[in-house]
Order: sequence, then structure tokens, then C-alpha cells
Amino acid sequence: MGDKTDVMQGTLALMVLRTLDVLGPLHGWGIARRIEQISGDLLSVNQGTLYPLLLRLEQEGSIESDWGASEKNRRARFYKLTRSGRRQLHSEVQDWQQTTKIMARFLAARAEELQ
Amino acid sequence: MKLLRRMWTRVLNFAAGRSGEQRLREEMEEHVRMQMQENLRAGMTPVEARRQALIRWGATNAVREHYHAEMGLPVLETMLQDVQFATRMLRKSPVFTGVAMLTLALGIGANAAIFTLINALLLNNLPVADPKTLARLGNNNDCCVGIGYRDNGEVSYFSTDTYEYLRKNVPEFEDLAAMQAGFTYRPVVVRMEGSSDAPRSVMGEFVSGNYFRTFGLHAAAGRVLEDRDDIAGAPFTAVMSYETWQTRFNGDPAVVGSTLRVNTKPVTVVGIAPKGFYGDRLVATPPDYYLPIESMPPIASAPYVHNTPVQWLYIIGRVRPGTQWGVLQEKANTLLRHQLAATGRFSDKDGAERLRKIHIVLTPGGGGIQAMQEGYDRQLRMLMAASGLVLLIACANLANLLLVRGMSRKSEMNVRTALGAMRGRIVRQLLTESLLLAIVGGTAGLALAYAGTQMLLAMAFPGAESVPINANPSPAVLGFAFGLSLVTGVLFGVAPAWIASKATPADVLRGGPRSVAGGTTLLQSSLVVLQAGLSLVLLVCAGLFGKSLSKLEHIDLKLDPVNRYIVHINPQTAGYPQRQVGELYRTIEERFHALPGVEKVGITSYTPMEDNNNGWSVAIQGKPEQEHNPISSYLKVNAEYFDSVGTHVVQGRGILPTDTVSAPHVAVVNQEFVQHFFKPGENPIGQHFGGDVKSAGDWEIVGVVEDTAYESATLNDHMMYFVPTLQRPLSAAPDSIDQDENMYAGAIVLKTNRPVPDMEELARKTLAGINPNLSVVRFQTFSAQIADQFSQPRLLSRITALFGGLALMLATLGLYGVTAYGVARRTAEIGIRMALGAARTKVAAMVMRGAMVQALAGLVLGVPTAMLCTKYLSSQLYEIKSVDAWVLAGSVAVLTLAAAVAGWVPARRAASINPVQALRVE
Repeated sequence: MGDKTDVMQGTLALMVLRTLDVLGPLHGWGIARRIEQISGDLLSVNQGTLYPLLLRLEQEGSIESDWGASEKNRRARFYKLTRSGRRQLHSEVQDWQQTTKIMARFLAARAEELQ
Repeated sequence: MKLLRRMWTRVLNFAAGRSGEQRLREEMEEHVRMQMQENLRAGMTPVEARRQALIRWGATNAVREHYHAEMGLPVLETMLQDVQFATRMLRKSPVFTGVAMLTLALGIGANAAIFTLINALLLNNLPVADPKTLARLGNNNDCCVGIGYRDNGEVSYFSTDTYEYLRKNVPEFEDLAAMQAGFTYRPVVVRMEGSSDAPRSVMGEFVSGNYFRTFGLHAAAGRVLEDRDDIAGAPFTAVMSYETWQTRFNGDPAVVGSTLRVNTKPVTVVGIAPKGFYGDRLVATPPDYYLPIESMPPIASAPYVHNTPVQWLYIIGRVRPGTQWGVLQEKANTLLRHQLAATGRFSDKDGAERLRKIHIVLTPGGGGIQAMQEGYDRQLRMLMAASGLVLLIACANLANLLLVRGMSRKSEMNVRTALGAMRGRIVRQLLTESLLLAIVGGTAGLALAYAGTQMLLAMAFPGAESVPINANPSPAVLGFAFGLSLVTGVLFGVAPAWIASKATPADVLRGGPRSVAGGTTLLQSSLVVLQAGLSLVLLVCAGLFGKSLSKLEHIDLKLDPVNRYIVHINPQTAGYPQRQVGELYRTIEERFHALPGVEKVGITSYTPMEDNNNGWSVAIQGKPEQEHNPISSYLKVNAEYFDSVGTHVVQGRGILPTDTVSAPHVAVVNQEFVQHFFKPGENPIGQHFGGDVKSAGDWEIVGVVEDTAYESATLNDHMMYFVPTLQRPLSAAPDSIDQDENMYAGAIVLKTNRPVPDMEELARKTLAGINPNLSVVRFQTFSAQIADQFSQPRLLSRITALFGGLALMLATLGLYGVTAYGVARRTAEIGIRMALGAARTKVAAMVMRGAMVQALAGLVLGVPTAMLCTKYLSSQLYEIKSVDAWVLAGSVAVLTLAAAVAGWVPARRAASINPVQALRVE
């Protein structure tokens, strides 16, 4: 239970930050739906598990939340990326891209270079 | 940074009690509602839309838990939860909790108290700087003024000349200090100049000028003694003890620099000794004042300070760093022999042989002078062993209780597991329970330890105004006892449940503990048996000590203490020179006879049973000369002395008023004296004796008295002779009277015809009326003085009785706890038995039998162990060689009775079980 959650949370956090970066301030349900849409059906995460993550990100200072009006003028909590959150996003994206580049090289170089 | 920030937020949340519940609920509702809207748009029915939305949301509880885990401090919160729950569970079984805590408190408290006391008496270091580099010259507590060495050549106290010689010639000692060996026997009389208080007799110790410097001590106020104070002719100075300064003078700073009259001489108080310093040895009466040795001849008129080979000083020195103690000891020995040879006392034939044997043993000086009676440390170690046993019993008790409890909760653990509790969580909760029990019990033990230490100190130093020991329980001891209890509690609290929780939950669901889980396990029974056995051993020990004490106290001392009062005086410190004491004694006799009720007034050098002795060699005129003349104790007494203490004259006559200075010199001897020096049938009356062959005509024997105990109760086969107060040996030079300290009487013994409650006040007034400087050094009834001599055996007897009682109580508690729990668990079984027709008495008998069998097994174990212990203890006991049948029988009876009581209460409860109710219990 332990390890899976950490990895899950790590990548999920990145997805949340990216979503907020692209779409701007959004409420919890909006983030959840957006993540589902982009990842298609490859990712089946219970929507509820997003909220502990959102709380954690907020406590870390990567995002901030406030009451806002959703459609039909109902009250909902909107999450927004902070400056430090944006910085964190950029650095994590770089790390991720670095990792994928290295992994790709490894996976490609299997036959030829490792003689 | 992120981590810190999160931590901080968590702490804030925890403190504010924020749980985020509200926020999550709101967001969840909103989220589900929005999902529901989407579902409706997709074409589902409202009911279906909501259901699907909730499914998409996930497990609400899981989300809530994860959410919560992000909020506060989950670890702390679960711990608090555990503690709350543990408290509730413990409160639900008050008997168990009460017994467990009592056991813990007694075990920890008693042990900490006795260990502290023994630590202080045995191993304590003086509160001085760097005790490890202090060395004492000598290894015995020989005291106090004399000439001579032990048979094995060990020397532990020294003359002034030897001290000064060593000080000058052993540079390996940074500082070498000397201190009076017998200050407790030589009080000083002090009065603050200008004060209207009567002069008081207090403890004054004469020390070298570098005494405080050697110990590395600084004054609490003013200054300490220095080398310049310890010069002949220097102005008289003194240092007051901190305790005296606080209790007598309320810490008044004006005391420093004030003048004190010591034995009527003016002395300046130059400073106060540091707080917590009680001198160089552990005594019930620590010094009130420290004075320089050079001031001793003028102030205390001691004739043995200068120009004599008389030994009277203990020596402690600070060893220079880097010095080898073995080498130092050798050097000191060589120098000592050199100095002694130079005195010329070893120049005879076998003098060289004797000189060669003489040696000093260098011992660690950090603990000061070990002034305790020999063998005391063995007794104290025995007490430590006993208290260790008590701790063992307490731990066994605790273990047993927890085991029983653990077993009884087996079904509870199964249910919990079935409901989904993880093993780790269950274990953690049980751990919390055990820890809580241990902590609360331990705290109670702490309080008990403190109270116990105070009580033990009061027992060890009866009547002392202030006790020279730090009365706080040693943290090391507390930590050990606490730790041991903690380990026991944790081990036996968690282990059975751990094992129990391994069982499949299906057991529980199949049906309750109706299956007879056969009584107590072997482990529990053996624990109880062990406890019972150990308790018996301790009880037997207590009984033996009590018997030994009783024997001691019933020794026929051949004294009559009824209606007798003893007034200790010191005419020397009151300023009387030897030539004037005759007048003084006559006045004392007159004035005291004038007091109402007084029949006899005895005047003597010292009294029976005051732990005092003065000895001199004896040679009988006409008898062949011996290699070493035997030593006999002697006293100078007046005519009424024998009657005043109750000693009977068995032959000839006692001392008469006609035995004046000018009359023939006579002596009365005791029976032991006669037996030793004269053949059976030989008449001692009319024979002469003296200190040696040359002076064998000094005294003429005119009477024989019974053997009476003088120095102590057990030392009553020694020779004594009594001479009139004012007569001196015929062979003594007339002018030597001015140095003869024996002329001074030490006590007045008053025999009255009825009890006089205010005799002390009357005595004080009478003496003050003769001379205001004549104060009462000490006043006691004869019975009290005799009883004081037994304070050590009495202490031992009381403490062992305490331990025996404690052990018994713990063992009884243990037996009761186990039996009670057995009954509680077997309620269903008992109900079945009763339903099948068993009589109530039979049920009760069944329970009782179980308890008694365990107790009996303990007895079987304990009796041979007790007999073994007795052999080991017989050296400490007075005239007890093997286990007394009465003591053994008594202990067995007491233990059996206790076991019966322990078993009877649960048995009664078992007998009163309602079978219908019992069978209904799941």
C-alpha cells in the first residue's frame, strides 16, 4: 500500500499542477474530470483520492484555494497555482523529461551498444 | 523547506484541533453533485446518476482517513486515542489495576529507598572536589587517642610529629591534611559572645590549616581555615558548619567575624563551611565547628598534641596527578618507619622486628573516613540483596497479573482481528496499556521512594537533628527499578496477546470461552510459587533478626536502669584545672543530693553502655612478670557510684568516702579481673597491683564487684578496676597531676526513689548554679542510654521486618490476583458445575485448594532456601547458629494464613455465583 501510493501521488501531483497551469483556477471536480479526459481510460483513479492530494499540495504551498462561484452560481472551492507551485512544476517537468530521455536511450540501445 | 512547512502546519492543525472534516464534507458534496449533473446529462436516472457518482468518488472512509492523515499529527493522535482507550480499559477492571499499581509502587519505592540509603552509607563520595585523587593513610577506623598498632602492623591514626614529618617529606601529596580522630568523644562548650543563651555542648573538630584546601572546598561565607591559622600563638579562629549556621543562627551574615566563646576562650568565626559538607566522615553528630590543631592545647587542654608519641590524627591527602599509588605507599611506609625509629621507641631487642611490621595501607579517600562499625557494610549489602528480592517478587507479581489478564482477553483480540484490526495496531494498543500502567505505578513508586527514604533515614539516625545524607532517591536507582518494571510490564502485557492474536478469528465466532480453559498455566503457577518461596525466606530472615535483637536486649547487663539518670559533664571545658576538681565533686554531691527524690549521686569517668572505654596495663605485685601486661579497663568513681548504677559488691567493700587523697590508695576490681590474675581459692583482697612491675604497689585491692557490661552489651567479659576519684597511682609524680586528664569525671549518675520527669532541667539548673560554664553535655535516662547501644541491630531488625512484611503483602496480592482472575474466567465452568449439582462449599473448596497448593509448593521451595540463608546470616546474628524452630514455624504459619486469606475472598465470590447468570456470560 505504501509504495504504490507514493508513486501514484508523485505523478498525480504533477498532473494536477500541469492541469492548473494550463487551465487556470479550477475546482476539484474540474481537475478530476480533466485528468480523466487527458489520460483517457488508462488511468482509473477514484476521484475522492484527489482531495487528500490537493490538501497536501496546498499545505506545501504549491497551490492555494479559495471560495468561488461555479456554474449555476453555486459555491465551490477553487484551486490556483502559486508562484512557487509554478516553479515546482517547471522543475519537475524538466526532471520528468530528463528521466524519459534517459530511459528512452536505454530502451533503444539495447541491441546495438551493449555488445 | 517543504517538509518543515508541512510539519509546522500539522502542528498548528493539531493544536487547534482542526480536522478538516467540515471542508471535506462540503467539497465532497459539491463534487458528487457536479458528477451527478454530468451523469444526468449523459442520460441516467437521478437515482442511478447519484449512485454512479458515488462509485466514481470511491470509498468515503478511505478518503476521509487519507485526508485526515494529511491534516494533523496522526501518530500523536492515535497515541492519544490509545491512551484514552487504555485508561478506560484499566478503569473497567479496578482490582487488577489497583493491585498492579500497588505492586509497582511498592517494588520500585522500597527498592529505591533502601538503595539510596545504602548507597549513601556505603559508597557515597564526600561532596569535595575530585574525590578520586584523595587518598587516606590507613584502612581502619581505629580510634581515638592511644599508642600502638594492630597485630598485623596496620596503622590508621598518627601522632602530630608523624603527620608533620610526612607532610614535609612526601611531595607526592599536593596537600596533606590531618583531622582529629575522636572529636565525637570530646565535645566543646560554646557560647556566642554577647548572647544570653546558656553555653551549649557541641561537636568541634580540630583540623590542620590546609583541611579545606585539601578537599578543594570554598567557604559559603567569609573564608575557610588557612595555614596561617594553624600556627602556635595565632589568634583563635574557627569555621562554622553550614547546617549550624542555618539552624542556630538563621543564616545571619553577621555571624562571620563575630566572637565565639569556646571552652570560655574567645574565638573568631572567620567563615562558614560550604553547604552540604558534613565533615570527613558519616556520623550522626557531624562537626558544628572546625578549629585549627594548634589551638587545641590552649582551648581543649589536650596533652597529646605536641611532643608525645600519642596517636590521635587521621590523615587524608590529595595525590599529585601522575603519581603511582603503589610507589607512594611504599615511600610513605619507608618514611614512617624512619620517623618512628628516630623516636627511639623501637631500639630494644625486638623493636626492629616490630618496626618492620608497621605499615600504612593507602586507601581511596574520596569517601572520607569510614567510621562505621566493622561488619556494617556486610549487613548493608545483605539489605540490598533483600530489597532486590522484594523487587523480584514485585516483578513476578506484575508478570503474573498481566499474563492472567492477557489470557482473559483472548476472545477480545480475536473479535478485533475479525473486525479488521491489524496486528501491529493491536499490539500498539496493548503496549500503550502496559506503558500507562507502568508509568502511573512508577510515579506512585517515586513518591513512595521519597517517603521511604525519609523514614529509613529517621530509623538509621534516630534523634539526629539533621541527617548528613542527601535524602533524595538516587536517579540511577529509580531509573533501574522503573526500567525493570517497564520491561516486565511490556513483556508480559504484550506477549500473551501477541500469541493470542495469532489464533484464527473463527474460533470466537464458533462459540465463547465455554470450553474449560483449565485453570492457570504452568508459568503463572510457578511465578506464584516463586513469590511464596521468596516471601518465606524474607519472613524467616526477619524473624531471625528480631530474635537476635531480642536476645541482645535481654542480655543480663547486671545493671539496674530503673529511676536512674545520667548527666554527662565536662569540667575541663568549663575551665577547671585538675587541682580544683575535688572541690567541684564535693559541691556536685551536695547540690544534687538536695534535689527532691535523689537518693544516690555517683560521679565517674564514664558510664556503662556509653560505648566508652579507658584501658591500662596491669601487673600484680608478687606475680611473675609477663611479656605484655594485660590491659584492664579502669574508672575513677566516688563512693556512691556502685549503688547509683546498681552494681553489687560481692567480696570485701566498695569505695568509701574515707578513701580521700591522703588515705591509702585502694581499688575495687571485678570478678573477671580476679579470675584472670588469681588462682581459684586465692584471696585477692589485700593484694597490690600497678601499671607494670615497677609500680606494682600502686593500688591495694579492697573489694570485688560483679562483672557488668560497660562498653557494649556483647563485650562483657573484660577486666575492670575502680579507684577513688581523687586518688592517683602511688608511683605517679605529684606534679604530673596537671597533665592527668583522668582526673576529670565524665558523668554524674543519679538514682532517685521515683521517676522525675523534669530531671534534665533540674540538672541543668543545678550545674549552672555551681558554674555557668558547666553545661550538660548530654542527658539521658539510663534505660535510654542502654537502648541506644542497640540502635544498629534494632535498625536491621526493623528493616528486615519491613521487607518480610512487604514481601508477604506482595505475595498475597499476587496469589489473590491470580486466583480472582481464575475465578472470573472460570465463571461459566463454575456455573456448569453448580447447575450439575455441585454444592457451593465444594466450589469454594476447589478454589481454595488451588490457592493453597500453590502456597504449599512455595513453602516446600522456601524452607530449605531459608535454612541455607541462615547459615550465611549467622555471622550477623547474636548467638543464633541455625534456624530456630519457632521462627520457622511462625513464618510458615503466617504465610499459610496469608495464602488462606488470599484464596478465601475469590472462593467466596465463586461460591456466590448465580449459575443462571454464569451460563449466560458469553
